[in-house]
Order: sequence, then structure tokens, then C-alpha cells
Amino acid sequence: MFNGVRGIYLRETLILRKKLVKTVLASAVSPALFLIAFGYGVGQGAQVNGHDYLLFLLPGLLTMSSMNQSYGIATEINISRFYFKVFEEYLLAPLKRWEIVVAEMFYGVTKGLIPVVIIGIYTLLCGVQLTFGVRFLVALLLHLAIFSLLGLITALLVRNHSDQALMNSFLITPMMFLSGTFFPVEKMPVVIRAVAALSPLTYSTRLIRSTLIGDMAVNNALFPLLAVMVVVLFIVAYRVVNRVQI
Amino acid sequence: MRSFGSTLAVDNVSFQVYRGELFAFLGPNGAGKTTTINLLTGLLHPDRGEIRYRGERFNPDLLAVKQLIGVVPQHNNLDKELSVAENLRIHGILFGLRGRQLEERIRFCLEFADLLEKSATAAGKLSGGMKRKLVIARALLHQPKILFLDEPTVGLDPHSRRRMWAFLRRINVEQQCTVFLTTHYIEEAESLAQRVMIMDNAKIIAAGSPDELKSCGGDYVLDIYRGTDLDSEFFADRDAALRRLKQLDTVVRIRETTLEDVFLQLTGKRIAGGKGDV
Ligand SMILES: Nc1ncnc2c1ncn2[C@@H]1O[C@H](COP(=O)(O)OP(=O)(O)OP(=O)(O)O)[C@@H](O)[C@H]1O
Ligand SMILES: [Mg+2]
Repeated sequence: MFNGVRGIYLRETLILRKKLVKTVLASAVSPALFLIAFGYGVGQGAQVNGHDYLLFLLPGLLTMSSMNQSYGIATEINISRFYFKVFEEYLLAPLKRWEIVVAEMFYGVTKGLIPVVIIGIYTLLCGVQLTFGVRFLVALLLHLAIFSLLGLITALLVRNHSDQALMNSFLITPMMFLSGTFFPVEKMPVVIRAVAALSPLTYSTRLIRSTLIGDMAVNNALFPLLAVMVVVLFIVAYRVVNRVQI
Repeated sequence: MRSFGSTLAVDNVSFQVYRGELFAFLGPNGAGKTTTINLLTGLLHPDRGEIRYRGERFNPDLLAVKQLIGVVPQHNNLDKELSVAENLRIHGILFGLRGRQLEERIRFCLEFADLLEKSATAAGKLSGGMKRKLVIARALLHQPKILFLDEPTVGLDPHSRRRMWAFLRRINVEQQCTVFLTTHYIEEAESLAQRVMIMDNAKIIAAGSPDELKSCGGDYVLDIYRGTDLDSEFFADRDAALRRLKQLDTVVRIRETTLEDVFLQLTGKRIAGGKGDV
């Protein structure tokens, strides 16, 4: 049972292990720069909704960089499919196609946990008080699953590597900045608010931030919303994987 | 039958491969060999047509059917960062092997492919010939009944190529595996295969044992050198060839027909025809 899930997950994590130092460094640098530029530079002494800007910013950096890592499996899948043709191995193996979806989702979630640890360390270094509880963990897993599935779907729909890069600049980068990671969306003009409303990152950031900041009310209605997104994306991913020929 | 947009890659191709046979599929670049293999292994779906295995409809999408086939793609699709053994282990897990059985199969395939000392080396650091052998060893790991190899000897030097032939014969005999391979090299098909099929421009243009194919044009050839041009004429027997030889006063060579003659004759006509059309 689940040979497909085990085999593919093992492959992905073995490769991740060989590239661990690179991955850790890559996901350590950009949040550090954002932290310096926005947290200590622009936002020095600022307050958002009655919280220090740093307290507001760190959860945003956490969701942003973990999204980047989870969604980042798209590029890897794309390269291994079209350039190295490793994906053929999965298509030839006696596995059910949903197993590919589950394995890649688990892998994306695993990869997304790396920046979470790094931001956790930054939080300690900054002397900011965040509470990492069970509700945070559940919200985080849903968040990572959403972006892993999105990564898988785009990787399989896009036919080549340059289109994949295009997806990143038209979809992921705007999402990174307009989803309430650096500033509260509510204070923005209506156009930006409309864009933010379409971005799943807006909801996961809002939920995760509220679970991390002790005196903020957790918006429990967002849990089922994220769960529904996971289910819908899983079904879409399954349909796409099912249709795939080399 | 299968097309890509307006390109018909495989057109009304119909053939049989017998159990235990070593079958070679010969054709120039773009003939449709890879597309045919992809159709047989389920990586592509045909627009029309079907495959039968022991009289039953053969659906390469079924998991039990996937278990029966091993595939060596034209392109070495190894995980370059992972070790030789890890590449095999992942394949084994995907095919449902586990525990002691998995480790034994890995060891057996490494030994069979002469890669035992390299088992901890990253696959990307192997030589071209070793990579090819590793891809083949990987395809054998789950003990398939039919092995499809797309240009197994591409990029190998003459020595390695001959070693690879011996390796493929061993797979065919010792592993009791039906072998279906594609190649551009005529001498490869001739020396390895019990039966050969020649494909060109998406169509099968000849099929049979190497001897049958050779005798269909004539067993003897006269190579007639006219300035820089070379004409070849075919004769049923040596005497007929010698009679013709007497009428000629140019440089001439007499020899037995090779599969290459058949191949050039069959595929060459088409190329000449193509030029006329332009
Ligand atoms: N994915 C594809 N999209 C469009 N055309 C394709 C595709 N794959 C193959 N073709 C076309 O189908 C025809 C047959 O290609 P195929 O790869 O099967 O040839 P081949 O015999 O394997 O050639 P080679 O010896 O070069 O490997 C070619 O004209 C090729 O351009
Ligand atoms: Mg080919």
C-alpha cells in the first residue's frame, strides 16, 4: 500500500537532504533582508492595529517565506519532468495517480517547514514574543498544503521552464506583497483589497498571524475556509495529474 | 496510430513480438520509434488502435500491466544527485518491493550490471556507459517480462557497445525477458535480434529475421564505382552477379548483402522521392 507515496516522498526528501544547506541559506537570506529593511528600517517604532510593527511583520514573513518554499516545488517538478524526465518513472510505475498528488503535497509541506524554523529563530533573536501553539500548527499545515498543491498544479499545466518563471512573477510575487504580509490589507485602496481578496495567502496570513500573536482574537471561521481550499485544490491537482501524458 | 498536431508520428503500425524474443526496431531519426515505445508503455495514448498481449487486450494504464514491463528511455532519466543504490531503491519501492527482498534485488541488479563498487557513487558522476547500464538495471529491478529499450547503446564507444550487446543477450536469456529495442545501428540489429522491423516516416517498411530481410533484395551485391558515385546492384546468387561483372569495365566490388543494403534501399527510395516532390 502507498508504494507510490512512499517512493516519491523518499525521492524528494533524499534530494532535499542533499541540497539542505543551500535550501536553508536561501530561505534564511530574504526574510532577514526584509526584516532589516522593513522591520528595523522603514517600520522602526511604527504601530499596526496597536501592535509593534515587528510583531506584525514576523508572522507575515513566516507565511511568505514558507509559501515560497512550498510553492517552489513547482520549479523542481517542472525541471524534473521536462528536462530530466524523471516524472516518466512515476508514470510508468504501478501507482495510483492520486499518490503522486499526496507525495508531492507532503514534500511541499516538509519543505515549507524549513523557513518556519528559521523565522522562529529570528523571532527569538529579535526578542519578539510569539506563541507557537496547536492552532498555529493546524493553520500552518493547511497553509503549506494549499501552496504545495498550487505548485504541483502549475508545474503540470505549464509546458516549459520559462512559462514557469512567468507564473512566478505574475502570480507569486504580487501575492507575496499584496496579501497582508507587510502591511494590513484593510488600510489599502479598494483595488488592492480586491486583489488581496483573491489571494489565498491573504487568508492564511490573517489566520496564522492571529494564532501567533497572543492578544489577538483568532478568526476560527478561517480554518474551514482553508480546509475547503485544500480539498478543492487536491481535486484539481488529481484531475490534472490524471490527464498527464509525458 | 498517433499524431502530434499535423505530424503523424505513428501511422497504421501493426506488428507482433513473440515471447522470449529479442526484437529490434530499426529506423532513422524521426521515424517514430520513440513514439511507438511510448504508446506500448502507456506514456502516450493512441489516437486509434490497440495492443494485445497473449491474445488479451493490453492496457498499459493498468497497475498489473505496469508491473510486467520495464522501460529504458532514450534519455537517461536518473536522479543525478542520488547514489546508484538510491536510484534503484526508489524504483523498487515504487514497484512494491520492500525489506530484504528489495535489498536483494538491488544487490543482484548491481552485480548483474557490474556496478557493485559504484553503489554509493552519485549517478551523475558515472560514465556514459555506466549510466546507461544503471538505467537498464533499474528497469530490470522489478523483474519485468518485457523490456523496452529505446536506443540502449546511444553514445557508447565500439567496445562498450559490444559489451552492452552481450549484456542485453544475457538479459534476454538469463532473465527470460522479452526484449524490444530500438536502434539506428544496423549491425546492432543484425547481430542481436532474432527479428528486425524497419520503420521510416511513421510506417513499417519491412519486418522479418535479418536473413529474410537480406534475401528479399538478393543475396549478392555489386558495388559499382562511377567516378564519385556508387551504385549498388542486387543479385539472387553469386553467378548472376559474376555474369553482370563481366559486362562492366569500371571499378567493381562483389560482396554479400548486408542489412545495411536493405535499410538503405528501403529508406533511400523514400528520400529520393521526397526530393523529387520539392
Ligand atoms: N511531443 C511531440 N510533439 C510534437 N511532435 C512530436 C513529439 N514527439 C515526437 N514528435 C514527432 O513525431 C515524429 C516521430 O518522433 P520519434 O521521437 O518517435 O522518432 P524516433 O524514431 O524516436 O527518432 P530518433 O531516432 O531521433 O529518436 C517526429 O516527426 C517528431 O518530430
Ligand atoms: Mg527516439
